[in-house]
Amino acid sequence: MVPGAFVRVYFPTQEQPRRPGLLHIGYVLVATAREALLAYTTSQPWPAGSPLPAGVRLFDAAQAAALNQSRPFVLRLDILAKLPMTAPWFPDIGKPAQGVIAIAPRRLQEELVDLASNLVRRRRDLIEMRGL
Amino acid sequence: MAFPARRKPLLAFAFTWHQNRLITQPRKKTPQKVAITLRLEAANARRLQAIAQDENRTLTNYVETVLLRDLLARDEADRVITVFAAPETSSRIEPDDVIRGEGESDAAYERRQAVAVELWSIPDNG
Repeated sequence: MVPGAFVRVYFPTQEQPRRPGLLHIGYVLVATAREALLAYTTSQPWPAGSPLPAGVRLFDAAQAAALNQSRPFVLRLDILAKLPMTAPWFPDIGKPAQGVIAIAPRRLQEELVDLASNLVRRRRDLIEMRGL
Repeated sequence: MAFPARRKPLLAFAFTWHQNRLITQPRKKTPQKVAITLRLEAANARRLQAIAQDENRTLTNYVETVLLRDLLARDEADRVITVFAAPETSSRIEPDDVIRGEGESDAAYERRQAVAVELWSIPDNG
């Protein structure tokens, strides 16, 4: 699995942070040979009038379509998951495409790394690691 | 004279529709507001009044807006970043472990490595 991929993943939940959760499309921010750090995405629209927190990136219908997604979505760099690349977490890992829906273009990948980098630098003390 | 047979159902329909509308579209409640007294130095009050006028607001509305902005900023500052970590994952990473994106520049790759090392180094909060 490569960095910048949008991939089908059982993203963990607040209630059960150590177990595979609901099927979502996650964004691979960092990948190693055995693990990946993914950002949460959801097609639930962001509430109108609510300010966007740092680390949240909205994708409109056109941007979503360019990434092979049928609906606008929200990418949350403030909700991340560090997961092993195994079938319980990635249901399609054994298939040729490994569940990868699309790969973000280089410019978008850089934008998201910069966003994550700023977030981590400014909020280091507010990062909550759950589940190790 | 006999009452036209169709009027009653129409009235009944109108009443039912009105009832449903009341049930399904409750009137929005405006949040209750409380009055507070604010004492400012005259010079500051004049400045605030001038800013409010520039923005076509009343002084009260301007002060309320500024205070709400401050509340939002505080909410934002308190926001936590959550990293879920599966039990089988490692708690340490070397920069060279990070896979480079296709066509990724050296600078972008270094930033990605730095984010990874930083995030991997954070201890579990339980």
